[in-house]
Amino acid sequence: MASLLLEIGCEELPAGACREAEEQLPALAKRELGTAPDSLFVGPRRLALRFDDLPEQTPDEWLKGPPVELREKAAAGFAKKHGVDVEELVERDGFLGVERPGRPLRDVVPERLDAIVRGLSFSKSMRWDDSGIRFARPVRWTLAVLESEAVVGTTSFGHRFRSGALEITDAAGYEECLRAADVEPVAEERRRQIVDGLDAIGGWSDPAGVLAEVVHLVESVQVLEGSFDERFLQLPERVVVTAMQSHQRYFPLGGNRFAFVSNGGDREVVRAGNENVLEGRLDDASFTFERDVRVGIDSLAERLGAITYFKGAGSFADKTERLRRLVSELGGGEATLEAARLAKADQASELVREFPDLEGYIGAEYARLAGYPEAVSSALEEQYLPDAAGGPLPQTESGKVIAAADKIDTLATSFSLGHRPSGSRDPYGLRRAAIGLNRLAVDGGLMVPRSLLPDEVRDFVEERLEGLLEAPVEFVRAARASAAPDLGGVARVAQALYEERESTAFDGVHTAYERAHRLAGRAADDAAAEVDRGLLKEDAERALADGLAQVEVDGDVRRALESGATLAPLMERFFDEVLVMDEDEAVRANRLRLLLDVRDALGRLGDFSQIPR
Amino acid sequence: MAVPTYQDTIRALEGYWADYGCVLMQPYHTELAAGTMNPATFLRSLGASPWKTAYVEPVIRPLDGRYGENPYRFQHYFQYQVVIKPAPSDVLDLYFGSLEAIGIDLQRHDVRLVEDDWEQPTLGAWGLGWEVWCDGMEITQWTYFQQLGGFDVELVPAEITYGLERLAMFLQGKRSAFELEWAPGVSWGDVYRESEREWSTYNFELAPVEVLARRFGEHEEECGVLLERELPLPAYDQVLKASHTFNLLDARGALSATERAAYIGRVRTLAREVARVYLEREADGVAAA
Repeated sequence: MASLLLEIGCEELPAGACREAEEQLPALAKRELGTAPDSLFVGPRRLALRFDDLPEQTPDEWLKGPPVELREKAAAGFAKKHGVDVEELVERDGFLGVERPGRPLRDVVPERLDAIVRGLSFSKSMRWDDSGIRFARPVRWTLAVLESEAVVGTTSFGHRFRSGALEITDAAGYEECLRAADVEPVAEERRRQIVDGLDAIGGWSDPAGVLAEVVHLVESVQVLEGSFDERFLQLPERVVVTAMQSHQRYFPLGGNRFAFVSNGGDREVVRAGNENVLEGRLDDASFTFERDVRVGIDSLAERLGAITYFKGAGSFADKTERLRRLVSELGGGEATLEAARLAKADQASELVREFPDLEGYIGAEYARLAGYPEAVSSALEEQYLPDAAGGPLPQTESGKVIAAADKIDTLATSFSLGHRPSGSRDPYGLRRAAIGLNRLAVDGGLMVPRSLLPDEVRDFVEERLEGLLEAPVEFVRAARASAAPDLGGVARVAQALYEERESTAFDGVHTAYERAHRLAGRAADDAAAEVDRGLLKEDAERALADGLAQVEVDGDVRRALESGATLAPLMERFFDEVLVMDEDEAVRANRLRLLLDVRDALGRLGDFSQIPR
Repeated sequence: MAVPTYQDTIRALEGYWADYGCVLMQPYHTELAAGTMNPATFLRSLGASPWKTAYVEPVIRPLDGRYGENPYRFQHYFQYQVVIKPAPSDVLDLYFGSLEAIGIDLQRHDVRLVEDDWEQPTLGAWGLGWEVWCDGMEITQWTYFQQLGGFDVELVPAEITYGLERLAMFLQGKRSAFELEWAPGVSWGDVYRESEREWSTYNFELAPVEVLARRFGEHEEECGVLLERELPLPAYDQVLKASHTFNLLDARGALSATERAAYIGRVRTLAREVARVYLEREADGVAAA
């Protein structure tokens, strides 16, 4: 058995490419060398694998070909495919084939390493020479060390600026060789060093989650601390955090302090340089911020007519008008209407152009600076919530209303322009908007009238409800057919039907509904337009009609079930005593209508035929 | 080492890349939004002929002007552009050598390559590379071109674009480009601040929208005529002029998002056609640009 180290030396790989390689390398290695690596080293300048115990000889291979009796027809083609003469084919168990004796490991390593390099596939790849290889960034060296002998390449390379060509004396000592050359090859170890360094400073945060990238931005970890002039604390906090995190991959420490990770360099020089860069960015943001504030949020709102919201859907001013209408229909008060007027104003600001992820938040800050009440500014801040699966909902009533109005408009506009999500493609985030709207109604308790949603949108939104509730899908489908006037009502009906599914009342209603539906549903065309009491001849049918008049199914679902269930015995008697399909056409039509009325009255609680019994 | 002036830094880069064997070109004669658009980069990077060049390029970006008030934003500034085609395998080391040549001690500073995927829709161009950070400051954009004018490159060039103001701010320890020492006793602001104010006024307030819209159409048309005559080099100038005209219209706020996308599409179509004719001509054995 032998140990083998394979190293692919690259120009700086993006963190995403490192992660892709990390996922693919074990399976690739297994395919090429028969076993997954015992150690994997992933970082910006090298991908490496080590096998502790590989057989020194590859196994014999038998490439099975055509059956012997097809020798005439198929042997030549098979032999050619495998690069041998027909005479070299061997017979085994009635089949022709090629015997490939095992080869010494050291002979196969070069081709297997090459196959691993070519086998990696990256979501973004490039070429850089005429080798035909595509990779995330250029591969500049490969190295294979078998035990203590380099069988591909001659050297590795240490830290880009503090070391040079580096002999790897044996596969087992790979990490030690690199560490002596200022490279930490183990990603997990780099992460630990970074976190330890940050913990030693204390109070760090990483709201944008840059740590995973930073691990692959350095080969040698140096955690440093810096600060910036306190005057920049007048900027909206998230602007400062975004400048630190998205632009510079720093970790905020609170106040005017930050931590960051360098790949080396003189601590004082590097710290001073980074402080200078951040202050420059914040200074630039201050210029932009101050210009916006001088303009003011009201003037920004007036500029929205010149900014297209969406091709075919007018400007942001048009969107604002639609939002105001929706807010009224959702019962929003004065503050919410004011918030609707200002909701998109920050789309005209320079700061949102620089920090697009901070839309809403920046508008809220500008509204506060302009002296608008907190009910207005917090609604601006919350208008895009919830913006992720399980993300927080708006806390204020005005925020909930604006958030719902925004989602309804986005959905209605997109659908009217024919932009429906298809398969996994949902470029306008319509699924997220629909789920968000449901959550505002169900978890946020916001009354969202179903009549506000165009039919197609309503179906799309309510289908998303099916996955959101505890009640199984058939109960939600049943409830969607109910007369519940709002999205939250649909959810409550579904939940109540589900909870009552074992009750006698539920059973009574379900049976009555099903019987009425089964018999009369298909014959609806033959039914009278309305019940004519004069045509009700039998006691049983008069009793049913009287009972139906007493039934009250709107309001609380449990009470409605109790009320609806009073029809169950009447229905039973009706079916025992009355022949629906009377010879007299008028009587028959009248009875069909009576049954349909029963079904439709109970149907206001939902379509019970969706729920199997 | 003494703190280098702005022009010292340019001279050091010129010297370094000339010694390497680059053809030192001069800035192009019409407005460009990036050194990449100079035919010495865009056209020469197409086709199978090797090419090495380095030059200063003034870049004109009307939308980025701030009337000379913001020390980080200008409608006119400078790039130092290097193109090496095909990129040799030690091209990164060559680049790091240039940093040492302008006085950056690679041991003392933290120089890093951070993923940056470059795309220029108006030129139908993209490539992969990095932004180069020096102590957190982005001093260079580094790209291996993959496609230009919609065509795969035959020999992959390395494009190295130094942001000269940022680089000089870093080297001189200045927080404002206006304060950079251009030559002894003369600042960058002395040379260009008034220019920023006047050009911002023109770009944002006075550039004549109807005239520009008409000119765009004229450049487009002229480009077509020149391509029919198989003259891709003058045709390419019309692409550049159309592109700059579009940038001015954009700065005037005269374009809706839809119109904007349409203009970009029109410039891209022209750039593709020029690239196609340029490549056909090269295939016929006519010398490059």
